[in-house]
Amino acid sequence: MPDIILDVQGLETVFKTPEGLVHAVNGVSFELKEGETLGVVGESGCGKSVTMLSVLGLIPTPPGRIVAGKARFNGRDLLKMSGEEIRHVRGAQISMVFQDPMTSLNPVLTIGRQLQEPLMMHIGMTRKQAQERAAELLEMVGIPNAKDRLSDYPHQYSGGMRQRVMIAMALSCSPQILIADEPTTALDVTIQAQIVDLVKRLRDELGMAIIWITHDLGVVAGLAQRVIVMYGGYIIEEAAVGELYTDPQHPYTIGLLGSLPRVDERKQSKLYSIEGLPPVLYQKPQSCPFAPRCKWVMERCWNENPPLETISPDHRVACWVDTKTGRSRS
Amino acid sequence: MTTYIIRRLLMVPVLLFGVTVLIFGMLQFLTPIQRSALYIRSEPKTDKAVEGVIRQYGLDKPLYVQYWNWLVGVVDNNGERKGGILFGDFGYSRVASQPVADLIRTRFPNTLDLTLWAVAPVILVGIWLGVQAAVHQNGIIDQAARVFSIVGTSFPTFVFGLLVLMIFYANLQWFPPGRLSDWANRVVLSDEFTRYTSLLTFDALLNGRFDIFLDALRHMFLPILTLSYINWATFLRVTRSSMLETLRMEYVTTARAKGLPERDVIFKHARPNAMIPVITLAGFQVVGLLGGVVITETVFTYPGIGQAAATAAAQLDVVTVLGFALFNGFILIVANLAVDVLYAFVDPRVRLS
Repeated sequence: MPDIILDVQGLETVFKTPEGLVHAVNGVSFELKEGETLGVVGESGCGKSVTMLSVLGLIPTPPGRIVAGKARFNGRDLLKMSGEEIRHVRGAQISMVFQDPMTSLNPVLTIGRQLQEPLMMHIGMTRKQAQERAAELLEMVGIPNAKDRLSDYPHQYSGGMRQRVMIAMALSCSPQILIADEPTTALDVTIQAQIVDLVKRLRDELGMAIIWITHDLGVVAGLAQRVIVMYGGYIIEEAAVGELYTDPQHPYTIGLLGSLPRVDERKQSKLYSIEGLPPVLYQKPQSCPFAPRCKWVMERCWNENPPLETISPDHRVACWVDTKTGRSRS
Repeated sequence: MTTYIIRRLLMVPVLLFGVTVLIFGMLQFLTPIQRSALYIRSEPKTDKAVEGVIRQYGLDKPLYVQYWNWLVGVVDNNGERKGGILFGDFGYSRVASQPVADLIRTRFPNTLDLTLWAVAPVILVGIWLGVQAAVHQNGIIDQAARVFSIVGTSFPTFVFGLLVLMIFYANLQWFPPGRLSDWANRVVLSDEFTRYTSLLTFDALLNGRFDIFLDALRHMFLPILTLSYINWATFLRVTRSSMLETLRMEYVTTARAKGLPERDVIFKHARPNAMIPVITLAGFQVVGLLGGVVITETVFTYPGIGQAAATAAAQLDVVTVLGFALFNGFILIVANLAVDVLYAFVDPRVRLS
């Protein structure tokens, strides 16, 4: 049984906006085991990114604020660390890749310079050593003529290549955890597949744990061992990847899976879509946040927010309804 | 980089042509005899003399001939070239009784001197404060800077100028208007004072006359204060908002996620990007200052080019005013070139595309 390296408990993050306090993350708890790949799924605005940014202390404060929770990493609470302490975790032990490679690299600094920074900072390499290592890293992520391309600027790289650079940068200090925040969303489909393959290959070589945030259940299926589904800042379902796809329990998960196009289906059927948008929560809801969009909705859903409950050793769900029978659970 | 600069340089003749055509077009609003000031000193008095002047300098010829004459000048009966802006002859100011070019030569260094001393505090303090205000948004520095900058933008120059004149000259008598004290002026005009650069403060230092340097600065203090404050208000706001915008960029989050110290995130990753619009503004402001700041120079009776232009305009000395306008056009073109080159230094996307 591999050790748990990241243990997040009861994380709550709020944002102060002119319209009021937005509850972006509402008591999120999850664990990440060594070398494991965890998929985090949900529509935009479900609190996936904010959860991960909170863990790394990257929430802009103000307007954001972490109001409760723990995030134990190697026995220490990341949320209690000073700015200086968590800085040495970021990029060294936990690193992040962002959604849009067109904007996540600094346009006025060379690729080489940006790759060298974490190496010099966290590992204490000299500029020369860092430069050699940067070239190796670029080679590792499959960029041809790596040595010559160090002096290029981001705008001279294509989108896919930039995302490779981001991955190389994130992995440069051999982190224990790589958080990938929708790293393929901004890329076209063929490049997406390349990036997923690259990450798989690097995971096998380097053995880091991965948190892969996405709204694409298809990508997660081939990559993750375990999946968390988030909605309205809550985890509403969590399961091993096989179980989630064969036996989804939460209406939202069922809806997400139903909205995936399938190649094995002959019939030309219309893709399923979940009506409406995820809520912006100005108050902690007294009802299930998904109730307004749910076709199984019952009386109880409007009065009580269902807690996340274990229904089998590998499966947790937060829903009052047993979607198989349409009746109340338990 | 080289191609980029060459491309910019190739634009210069085109721009110069545009500016000259524009100014020449405006000169056509004058009567031929008024335009004769472009070539000769005194206005001809008799009808016969008028006709002679018009014929000699082609003032009744087609426009393209006149334009050419205006550019290269006309050779008179004595074989002397008269006029010709390409040779630096902008005509004759009948009001100031001297060639327009001489007027520019004596007045412009004063304006340049003032500009250099005003621009340095604006840019250095403006960038520093703008960055600080953005980094500590809504903090004390930010609030104070915002109040100062709103006051600065809404204060008309002449009100602010008169206010400081009242306080520091009329009441406290610390900083006099004008250019130099009488004793200093006598030294400057004497033979023992060499005008190396025509910029008084620099010449004073080069001559080792620290007392004259201080005297010149003392006279410049109020105009510098006024210009700095007024320009600084805009400069600060642009730096601040540009920096705020940059700090929200994803690559700044990337830099933080890499574990860089906040100092590096701000000064190495964010600030260079935030400087791009600031350079544009700095270019505009320097051009504005070099063109002569009419109100400030007038309020403080500072003998710069703006004051001269205002006097010329008030006396309907159109040839002089347009001469200044032409000169200003040249400065604008040079300053734009400088801004473009600076862009290339700051932004590789400009440099390499």
